[in-house]
Amino acid sequence: MFHPSRRAVLAGTSALALGALAGPRARAQAPRRGGSLILALEGEPTSLTSHLATDTPAMMVANNIFNALVLLDEKLQPIPDLAQRWTVSPDGLTYTFELVQNATWHDGKPVTAADVEYTFNEILSKVHPRAGSWWPNVASARATGTHTFVFTLKAPFAPFLTMLGSVLSSGATILPKHIYEGTDPRTNPANARPIGSGAFRFQRWQRGSHIELVRNERYWKPNRPYLDRLVLQVLPDPAARLLAFERGEVDFLHWYIVPYDRVGQMRRDPRFQLLEKGDAAATNGLMLYNHRHQHLRDVRVRQAIAHAINRQTIRDRALFGEGKVAQSHIGSNVAAYFTPDFDYAFDPAKANAMLDEAGLRRGSDGRRFAVRIFWASGRDYEGRGAEIIRDNLRDVGVEATVQVFDRPSFIDRVFRQWDFDLAMQLFTTGPDPTISVTPRYHTRQIQRAPFVNGMGYSNPETDRLFDAEYRETDVPKRAAVWRDIQRNLMRDLPALPLFELPPIHAASAKFGDVVTGPQGYIQSREDAYQR
Amino acid sequence: MLFYVARRLAQAVPLVFVIILINFFLIHAAPGDPVFVLLGSMDTTPEFVERVRREFGLDQPLWVQFATYLGKILSLDLGYSLRFQEPVLGLILDRLPATLLLMGTALTVSSVVGILLGAIAARRPYSVTDHASTIVALAGYSMPVFWLGQIMLIVFALHLAWFPTQGMYSLRAPSEGWGRVMDIARHMVLPVITYSVYHLALVYRLTRVKMQETLALDFITTARAKGVPEGRVVFVHALRNAVLPVVTVIGLNFGFMLAGSVLTETVFAWPGMGRLLFDAIGARDYPVLMGLFTVLSLMVIIANVITDVIYAMVDPRVIYR
Repeated sequence: MFHPSRRAVLAGTSALALGALAGPRARAQAPRRGGSLILALEGEPTSLTSHLATDTPAMMVANNIFNALVLLDEKLQPIPDLAQRWTVSPDGLTYTFELVQNATWHDGKPVTAADVEYTFNEILSKVHPRAGSWWPNVASARATGTHTFVFTLKAPFAPFLTMLGSVLSSGATILPKHIYEGTDPRTNPANARPIGSGAFRFQRWQRGSHIELVRNERYWKPNRPYLDRLVLQVLPDPAARLLAFERGEVDFLHWYIVPYDRVGQMRRDPRFQLLEKGDAAATNGLMLYNHRHQHLRDVRVRQAIAHAINRQTIRDRALFGEGKVAQSHIGSNVAAYFTPDFDYAFDPAKANAMLDEAGLRRGSDGRRFAVRIFWASGRDYEGRGAEIIRDNLRDVGVEATVQVFDRPSFIDRVFRQWDFDLAMQLFTTGPDPTISVTPRYHTRQIQRAPFVNGMGYSNPETDRLFDAEYRETDVPKRAAVWRDIQRNLMRDLPALPLFELPPIHAASAKFGDVVTGPQGYIQSREDAYQR
Repeated sequence: MLFYVARRLAQAVPLVFVIILINFFLIHAAPGDPVFVLLGSMDTTPEFVERVRREFGLDQPLWVQFATYLGKILSLDLGYSLRFQEPVLGLILDRLPATLLLMGTALTVSSVVGILLGAIAARRPYSVTDHASTIVALAGYSMPVFWLGQIMLIVFALHLAWFPTQGMYSLRAPSEGWGRVMDIARHMVLPVITYSVYHLALVYRLTRVKMQETLALDFITTARAKGVPEGRVVFVHALRNAVLPVVTVIGLNFGFMLAGSVLTETVFAWPGMGRLLFDAIGARDYPVLMGLFTVLSLMVIIANVITDVIYAMVDPRVIYR
């Protein structure tokens, strides 16, 4: 353990106590300026912009340097960023955005609607990996004035603003036209030395070590940012990363890299704060079923397996009691659409009966059939979950074996070769189910591409519901359709939802407002301050 | 001598070719698709996957890809990283100084300290000190690098807080000039020790055995009988003879150390080539992997030539033609 002097400890605790007492008044004061926040990155980013890839490290950097048109608040509703106002036409086809007047690029040029137009038409729609999931709905995107910008859609698309606000889903931060025009956006040197409009300016990228950003003195939002410097340090080894955090060498571990077995200890340690919010992505841990398997293709077998698995134990032992049991294919914090009504109870007796009924009686050795459970190394809780599932399945006579692969091999086996029986996988389900749920389970998504319908699930009725729901802009009516979809998915079981991955970020207690929005791990740190 | 060096380097050319050939097909035989890794953690369309694959030339038959690669390498072009969209050579050169600094220091420390301790231990074989150091050396020799690294971190960085846990610089308070040198030195202590232990043990053991043999020879007895001071007998007369095989082992160590850099640099978050290699494997970044293997094999070949040259300088009996 780190040993500060006795006096420092006393001073620190009394300051904390005072802070707790002062409460609202302390918050009413403007946070002080200055200080450096050091954030851990799990790997070297591929670039420092968000238009090329969807890797977390790149987003964690890019969101500090760039702005989006809109962002999302805690309830996943759009809030202003570069767009200060917007209107949606009554037919749901025309979105008009009015940009702030005073935004400038880090090189001093003004941010205008022409930049927005160029970003969507010439960059995102052409090179972003997920553009195929929403760009086809767009009829046109054009600047109608220096600071006004209009999207016209081909048909109403309910999650349109959510899509724009979720940088993780769309990569939609606005890039400078004058830097990218006439170049290949994939190889432009500015991808590694970015010029943005955001709260922090790019300073240096020391390859393999860290990325340093400094305060943008001319930032267009008043009084922001508070911090002088942001350092994003590349720390790929989990054990070393945790030591660095405990020693106070880094100040922030985002939720994918906070080890759940240490959360309890961190919660009691006054040097740290746990920020348990900010998962717009509403990530579920699932077990995928391969619908091509000779026994798993039978829905009764899939349902029996769902009854055989003790998901409470997985939550308690694999996630050390953090998070929740997942009860549907939509996460519970996408509250407008989530329903727990079609969940399975843990009932081994029923599982045995259903397997008998499916004609898979136990042999003389007590076994019915064999399955392989695959998982990809890197997320230890998935491995522990797989072992619990193996034991649960053996209890009902299904001979399960667990195999682990490195991630590229796993993705290749599951999503390209379709050579698996059961597989552990995380899927996002938010910020809107059209964005995150439909691409996994629609029949047209049975494709040899990562994180789509490698399970081979196909139900024409579900497809019809998928194809209809996003045209419905009335939330309660749309929620009713999603209730039907969740009923079908839970009945047909393309995958069994196991747990909702708890969003737990860990930060040094010296900093405030490190996480303010629903995309806490990749959001801009413009509001963060040192106490 | 120059002619000899040139000839040795020329002989290495077919070797490098074979290394490139084997590496290329081995790397491509590993399962996993770089495009899938490249696209990140979200879903995408197969059309997009195909397009990216086409753009990178990954849709071509393997032998076509190999021919293209060979053609480029002949013009000293190591290609473009799939992951970073930047020239591979630049990525490697960015990381090379950090690795050379760490490795050079570790190689020097392990060689010098290993030889000195070996020479001292050989003076009184089978004494308590000798047995003790032999046991310590055996332990060092058999300790896995990643485990030792973790233990060093927990003891010296976390509990005693003498050294930082990771990285090459202090990021909270960056310093310039002399302060920066001291900062890097402080960050180097734990990785250098971790890195050195195995090689130190090896060099120590070998020196000790060779010294013991040499110290039993007649010319040593003669020297002592002549009244040559003991320090001069050990470090000039005996060591000069005993150190010959040790030089060869140090040359070999260089190659092993390059391999070991993957583990050490990952445990200590050291921004060198070993980490780049580790990341490139995870991303199936073929051009970076190929570039690294080529550069690493060149370094090993050059290290061997240097070893031979040093050998000639130490051993006057060796004549080069």
